[in-house]
Amino acid sequence: MTPALGREANVGTMALEDSARADFERLRRQRRHRLLEAMAVERLDALVLGRAANVRYASGARQLWRAGSAPFGPAAVVVLETRRVHLLSVWDEGVPPEIDHEDLYPLTWNPAHLLAALKAIPGLGRARRVGTDGLTPMFAQHLHEIAPSAELADAKPAFWGARRTKTVDELACLQTAAALAEAALQDLCQRVEPGVSERELLAAYYECIGNLGVPAPPSESVAFATPAHGAVDFCLLARERAIGDGELVVLSPGALYAGYEADVGTTVLAGATPPRGAGRLAERCRRGLDALLDACRPGATGADLFRSWEQTGEPPPPVVLAHGLGLGVEPPVIGLGRGASASVDEGAVLCLQSWVSAEGTGGCLERATVLVAADGAQLLTRRAPFGFSG
Amino acid sequence: MEEQATGATIGGREIPPSPDLARMRGERFARLQEELARQELDGLVLLSSSAVAYAAGLSMPGEDSGRSGIFRPVVVVAKGESAPHVYTAARDGLPPEWPPDHVHGPLFPDLDDGVDDMLMALADHFPTASRLAVDHQTHPMLRALGMYDWCDGRAALAPAKLRKTPDELACIRTAQRISELAMVGAREALRPGVRQSDLSARFLRRAFELGASAGCIDPIWQVMPAWREQGPWTSHGDLAYPTATTDRMLREGDVVWVDAGILWEGYASDYGRTWVTSARNAPSSRQHEQFRRWRHVVDAALRVLRPGVSAAALGRAATEANDGVRPWIEHFYLAHGVGTDSAEMPLVGTDLGPEFDESQVMQPGMVLVLEPVIWDDGAGGYRAEDIVAVTDTGWEPLSGSTYDPFGLEP
Repeated sequence: MTPALGREANVGTMALEDSARADFERLRRQRRHRLLEAMAVERLDALVLGRAANVRYASGARQLWRAGSAPFGPAAVVVLETRRVHLLSVWDEGVPPEIDHEDLYPLTWNPAHLLAALKAIPGLGRARRVGTDGLTPMFAQHLHEIAPSAELADAKPAFWGARRTKTVDELACLQTAAALAEAALQDLCQRVEPGVSERELLAAYYECIGNLGVPAPPSESVAFATPAHGAVDFCLLARERAIGDGELVVLSPGALYAGYEADVGTTVLAGATPPRGAGRLAERCRRGLDALLDACRPGATGADLFRSWEQTGEPPPPVVLAHGLGLGVEPPVIGLGRGASASVDEGAVLCLQSWVSAEGTGGCLERATVLVAADGAQLLTRRAPFGFSG
Repeated sequence: MEEQATGATIGGREIPPSPDLARMRGERFARLQEELARQELDGLVLLSSSAVAYAAGLSMPGEDSGRSGIFRPVVVVAKGESAPHVYTAARDGLPPEWPPDHVHGPLFPDLDDGVDDMLMALADHFPTASRLAVDHQTHPMLRALGMYDWCDGRAALAPAKLRKTPDELACIRTAQRISELAMVGAREALRPGVRQSDLSARFLRRAFELGASAGCIDPIWQVMPAWREQGPWTSHGDLAYPTATTDRMLREGDVVWVDAGILWEGYASDYGRTWVTSARNAPSSRQHEQFRRWRHVVDAALRVLRPGVSAAALGRAATEANDGVRPWIEHFYLAHGVGTDSAEMPLVGTDLGPEFDESQVMQPGMVLVLEPVIWDDGAGGYRAEDIVAVTDTGWEPLSGSTYDPFGLEP
C-alpha cells in the first residue's frame, strides 16, 4: 500500500504540538510491526544486528552517529517469541520508552561479558534460526554458544521485506531531509565562484547542515569541479586547489533527518563564461535524469533503468543510476553492472543520478530523490534549474 | 599545521614535524606482512573503513554507515607481496605508489549479485583452502566463499596497529592540532541559547578549513548534571557518557563535556575538555578544584609512564592520586589508544580485568589518550583528554596544554 504524498508536507525539524509532522511513536510501532511480520515470514526466531541502520529501524534508538563501516558486532537483538527488542546501551537516553531497562545490555570490552549478556536474553537461546546482518569468525563461535541449536541465516530478506516500502511517517522524515538537502544545495550554489576550493565548499556545507540542526552528513562528497580540458573523472574527495573560472562544479549534498536520507544534486558554473559545449552537456544530463524518471515505475526492474539510460545514447556512467534511500543508502543498487534484476517497488524511495561528461567541457551531474508511486516517480527533492547555459 | 620536532624518539627515530606518508604506508604494510608470516596466514581481506585505511592508505570521504556499507572499498593483502590490492570505484583517494595492477574495479560484497566478482577476485590471489583473516563477513560472502579457511581479522591487525611509527604519531599530532584550533571558535560561540548542533557547525566548518581529511563522529557536547542521579538512568549506576548530540539549547551554568574528533590522513584526533556555559564565563572555585584534581591524576599516571610499565601500574597510580577512588567511568577506561580507530589498543582499566592490565606492557610507539573523570556528586565533574606517545625513554605529548576556561590558577 503506497502512502500518497498527498497535500504539501509541513517540513521542519521542530516538534509541533499537534504532531503535524512525523509521528515518531507511530513510526517506531509500524517499523517494529513490519520487522516482526517479516521475521515470521522468513522463519527467523531472532535477529542479531550490527548495522547502524538496522539497529535504528528495529529499536528506534537515537544513538551516536559514526561515519564509515565497522566490523560486525551485536548492537541489538530482536526475539520473535517475546516480540522484544534488546539494545546495547548502558543508558536510557535516546532509547524509546517501549524498550525497558531490562532490555538493555551494557557496553563491554570483554567478549566473555558480552557473551554472558547475550546468553541472558530471554528466548534467544531457544532460537532455531537466527538472522544476522554480518558476521566475524569470532562471533560465529559465540553465536554457537548463545543459541546452540540455531541455524545461521541472512537477516537481509526480513529487513528488505520491512524497509523496502516506506510508511507515511518515514516519508515525512524523508521530506524534511529533502528540504534540508535543498537548503544545503542552495547554500553551496551561492558560494561557487572562481577561487573558492572544494575544501572550503565542504567546510561551508558542514556549517550549513549544522546550522539546520543536523550536522551528520550522508556523504562528504558534496562538491567537485570538473576540468574543462582533458579526461573527466568522477571525484569523491574535496581538493585544496582553487576552482578555475569557467569550470563546471558538481554539487551533490544530502541530509539526514532522524536517520532518513535525501540526496540532491546539480551542476553550476564557476564564473561567467561556460566552457564550450556546456549547454549541450547540460541538455544530455537533463535527458538522462528524465529517462531514469520515466523508467522508474512500479513493476519495473533495474534492466528497465539500464535500457532507458542506454536509449539516451550515453555510455554507462562510473556511478550507479539508482539506489534505494531510507535510513541511509539501501538496496536496490542499479548501475555499475549490478541490479539488472532488482525490482522497482511501489512505495520505495530511490536516489536517481545522471552523470555525463565531455572532454573539453567537463562533467555534469543531476541527482534527485523520488518516491515510486502508483503512476510513476514523484520527486521528493525539487529540481533546481541549472546555473549555466551556452 | 607543522609542529616542531622535539627530539623524542621511537625505536631511535625522531617523530618528524610532518609525516612522510609513503614511508608510513610502506612500514604499515611491512608490519601486516610480518603478522601474516608470524600467524601463518595466506592473506587478509578487509572491508571496514579503518582497516582499509590502515592497510592501503586509501583516503575516503566521511559517509553515513549505510552508504559506506554498500559502496565500500575492499582491500586484499596477499602474503609475500609488496603492495595491497585495492578494489574501488573511486580512484581519487588512492596513494600514488601502489602499482597500477594492484588497483581494481569495485566489489560489492554486500550485494547478492556482487559476490561472483568477489569470488573471482579472491581466486586471483588465493588457492582453495587458503587461510585468510577477515574483519567483517557479509552473508553473500558466507554463502559463496566457503572454500577458504577464515579466521578473525582483528588478531592480524591489532598487533600491527598497537605500536605506531614516528610518521603515524606525526599524523595523530596533526589531527589533534586541527581539532584544537577548530575548537577555539566553537568555545567562543558557547553562551546560553546556543544549540549543541550550532557548536558542531562551528567546529566542523573550521576543522575542514584547517585541513581535516574526513569527519568520523558527530561531535559530543553533553550537558552534565550536578548529581549523578539527575543524569540518564544507567545499568551500572555510574554516569551516562557520551550521549548523542541534538539541537538541545545550552543554558546558563550548563557544564558541557566536549568530545570530538576528525581524521587526518586516516588518523583520528580525540579532543576532550570541560566547558562551562555562562554569561560570566568563570568556573566556580569548586569546578577549578575538580580540574586541579584531574590534572593531578593525569600527572600521577604520566609520572610512572615509560616503556616496561604495565597498564595496571598506570591505573593504580591514577587511582591513588584520586584518594583511592577509581577516576574513570565504569564502562570505560583510564586511557585508550588512538590510530585509524578512535579507540583502539592499548586499553587501561577496562572490564577486561586486572590480569589483562598486568599483561599489557607499555612499549615505544604506543599512544595513550588519558581521560580520567573527576566526579564530585552534587557539584558535577571534570573530564578532559590528554594524548601522549610512549617514547624510548618516557612519553611525549601529542595534544595541546590549554584547558580553557580552566587553568592551574583560578
